[in-house]
Order: sequence, then C-alpha cells, then structure tokens
Amino acid sequence: MDKETLVSYIPLYRDALLLTLKIGWQGILFSFVIGLIGAAITHFKVKVLKTIVGIYIELFRNTPLLVQLFFIYFALPKVGVKITAEACGVLGLGLLGGAYMIETFRSGLESIPIIQTESSYSLGMSKLQTFWYIILPQAVSISVPGLLANVIFLLKETSVFSTISLMDLMFTAKDLIGMYAKTIECLFLLVVFYLIMLLPVSIIGALIERRLRYAGFGD
Amino acid sequence: MRKNIINKITGLTLILALAVVGLAGCGSTDKAAEQGSGEATSAESSSQGFRTLDEIKKSGTINIGVFSDKSPFGYVDENGEYAGYDVYLAERLGKDLGVEINYVSTEAANRIEYLQTGKVDIILANFTVTEERAQEVDFALPYMNVALGVVSPKDEVVKSLDDIGEDDQVIVISGTTAETYLTKNYPDIKLQKYDAYAEAKSAFENGNGVAWANDNTEVIAFAIENEGYEVGIPSLGDQDTIAPAVTKGNETLLNWINDELKTLGKEQFFHADYEKTLLDTYGADYEETLVVEQQ
Repeated sequence: MDKETLVSYIPLYRDALLLTLKIGWQGILFSFVIGLIGAAITHFKVKVLKTIVGIYIELFRNTPLLVQLFFIYFALPKVGVKITAEACGVLGLGLLGGAYMIETFRSGLESIPIIQTESSYSLGMSKLQTFWYIILPQAVSISVPGLLANVIFLLKETSVFSTISLMDLMFTAKDLIGMYAKTIECLFLLVVFYLIMLLPVSIIGALIERRLRYAGFGD
Repeated sequence: MRKNIINKITGLTLILALAVVGLAGCGSTDKAAEQGSGEATSAESSSQGFRTLDEIKKSGTINIGVFSDKSPFGYVDENGEYAGYDVYLAERLGKDLGVEINYVSTEAANRIEYLQTGKVDIILANFTVTEERAQEVDFALPYMNVALGVVSPKDEVVKSLDDIGEDDQVIVISGTTAETYLTKNYPDIKLQKYDAYAEAKSAFENGNGVAWANDNTEVIAFAIENEGYEVGIPSLGDQDTIAPAVTKGNETLLNWINDELKTLGKEQFFHADYEKTLLDTYGADYEETLVVEQQ
C-alpha cells in the first residue's frame, strides 16, 4: 500500500463520512419519530390508522432501500415532486427505518404484562398516563438493543446512496478506484472509515444499554 | 459494571487494531504476488490472474465485459440479446476464436477491476485509452475515435464550461474520462456523479444538472434521440481513441487481438459495424470521424 495515496485520499473520505453521518442522523431521528407514533397507533389499536401503519410496515420492510430511493429520486420528479438528493436520502432512510422502529417499539410495548396496565387503571390512571408513565419507559428500556441494531443497520444502508449521486463512503471509494485504480488503498480506507463511524455507535450504544436497563428486576 | 465497559472498549480497540494489521498484511501479500507473477513465465498461469489465449480456447468460452445500458455501443436489445458497436466486434472475436461468448455486464467504474481480478478476459465497453488506465491494463489497437462532449437543455444551452455557474451541477458518470478531465482541468465545477448510464440519463432528464458531460458519441446520440436537448460543446479536451483492453501482461491474448484487428481492417470491418449499429443514430456524417480501421 502506498502511504502517500492513503494520506491524499483521507480528506475525501472525511467529507464522505460527514455527509453519511449528516444524512444518517437526520434519517434516524425521522425514523424514531415515525417509530414512536406508529407503535403508539398499533398499541392503542386506532381504527383505520392501524391498517395504514400495517400497510406502511409491510411496504417498506419488504422492499429494498435501493428500490425506495430509486422511486423517490427518479420516479417522483416525473409527476412533479422534486427533492434534492440529500433530502431524498433522509426521506428514504427515515421511511425504511421507521418501519423497523415501529416493530421494535411494538415488541417492547407488547412485552409489558397486561397486568401492569390493569393495575394502573385500577389506581385511577388514565389511558395516556398509563402509556406515558408506566408502559413506555419500560418498553423503551427493553427495546434499546433492538433500536441500536436498527441504528447500525441504517448507517450501513447508506452504502446504496451512490445511485442517487450522494458521495457517501462507498461511492467515494468506488469513484476513486474508477479514476485512479488504487484499489487496495481505497478499500482499506473504506473499511477503516466504516469502523470509525460504527465502532463509537456500538460502544456508546453499549453504555446506553446498561444505563437504561432499569425495566427488568434484580439485574 | 464500569470494569466491564472498559474491558469491552479495550476488546474492540484490539479487534480494530487486528483488522488494520490484517488488512495491511493483505496489501503486502498482494504486492508480493504481483511481483511474483511478473517474474513467472506462462508455466504458472493460474497465479497470474488472467487466462492466456490457449487457456481460453481450451475452456471453450471467453468472458467479455460490455456495457448493458449504453446504446448504441453496448446494450441489451428488446429480445434480451446484447447488441451495439462494441458487441458486434465481440461477436466477431468470439467467432474467429471459435469459442462461446459469455457477456459480463460492466459499469464504467469497474472496468479495470474486472480485468485485474480476472472476471473478464477482454473489456469491450467503449473503453477510452488514457495514460492512467494504460498503467493498469493493456490496450490493444484502437477501433474508434472519441472526444468529450457536453449536452444541455435547448432553452439554456451550455456553450462553454466557463458559463457554468457556481451552484450549477454538471452530471458525469463515475469512472469515465469526462469525470477525470473535469476533475483535473475544472476543479471548481460541481460534479454530480452517478455510477451507471441509466441513472445519469434519468437524472439529466429530470433536470438535476445544467449539463451532462460524457463521451461526445454518447451525448450526440442522446441529443438525437431525445427532443429538447442540444450538444453545446461537441468536442472537449483531447481527441482520444477507444480500444479493447486485456489484463496487464496477457500478451498472448493481446497479440491475437491486434492481429485480428489488422485482418479486420483489411475487410473494412468497422465500417460495416458502423453501418449496422450506429448509422440509425448518427447518420452517415460521423462515419469517417468515428471509425478507425487498422491497416
């Protein structure tokens, strides 16, 4: 491997990393919001909306992100909806992630025994109070490992952004290989930069997981 | 509990360190292998990363890398068959070698990779000869001329690259000579990069960029086939040539292709190729400019 090449490519990879993170965190935040709202809808079994959420989940969990991005970026402009590549990335990631987040939150919500809801009601708490103060904190705590897995999954999914001209890490590597054919250097930096992005997420995630493990007893 | 976390962090750091060392190791072994194959003769062909002429003949199939989305040079027609100017040549090479052809669809950016890893024996994907590429692969004699061109919508034709505003984006395809040329000579122009022809085309049609820079053959074809576009800059940069490429060091195959191209030149093969595949798109005007025959 050529050290000079490696060093000269680092700024490009850094830019790509920043772009990936920028789109990544916005998309993930978006998916969290969708996840919470969607999970609440399924939990409360809101009529009509419940069906819509069900369709949404199946639609986005059973199509690849690549297809979703293609649709948003290339098909929607034909009917007059035009958004920038970055917004498209955020939207795609958020919608895909949202479907997964709903399911993760839902599994957390469903794991709380029904007896807790019944006890809360018998103590005179309202439906919303029960959800907000009793069920949700425990459900979130239980969902944390699943949510973290989703976050890492979504950050890795950014590697298909090349199709919509976003210079993410993967595309930067491919592009440099295409131009200068320094394959080993480019792929080496690619692995390193993905690790730089994802290892801290794993580590911080593990810390959060411990901090939030208050739902179970005797742990 | 805190100890656990510290343990975990140390563990992860170790894994990272190992990964780095491991990868660095891979790098140096590869280099060693390269040097080895450079010295070795054809006796140990399997370690060279390419197949010699005899091995291809023996196996009965040749792998040829072509475009599947670059009409009219390399594309898949309505019957699902590969067709185009490059494919016409590929068919002839296969016939004269007496082997079956296995077409491998490539994208601009992975043409060099496909040769270096031995996934294909020949690249016939409108591959422009450049100095940088010649260091990585071996080019045979050329069979076509090419320059760069820029196409833009008719209502706002880009006549010169100096017209391009600060915030305007020019569409290019990753791994093409247009990308390298603009990166080198016009570093201030913002490039919007795509990794396949089909996507760049869709994006350009959707108005995502003010212009599209590519081989002039390609942009001329686009302007002819799609209404409302004009090639504002028909020729940009140096006049280049397009040639078949083989893996670096694959002399037997390279020599055979060169001899074959000379034979084909005698029968004016590429004029026939042009008339068969490109005439509909370009008309007769471009025949002498585009076609190269070896004498």
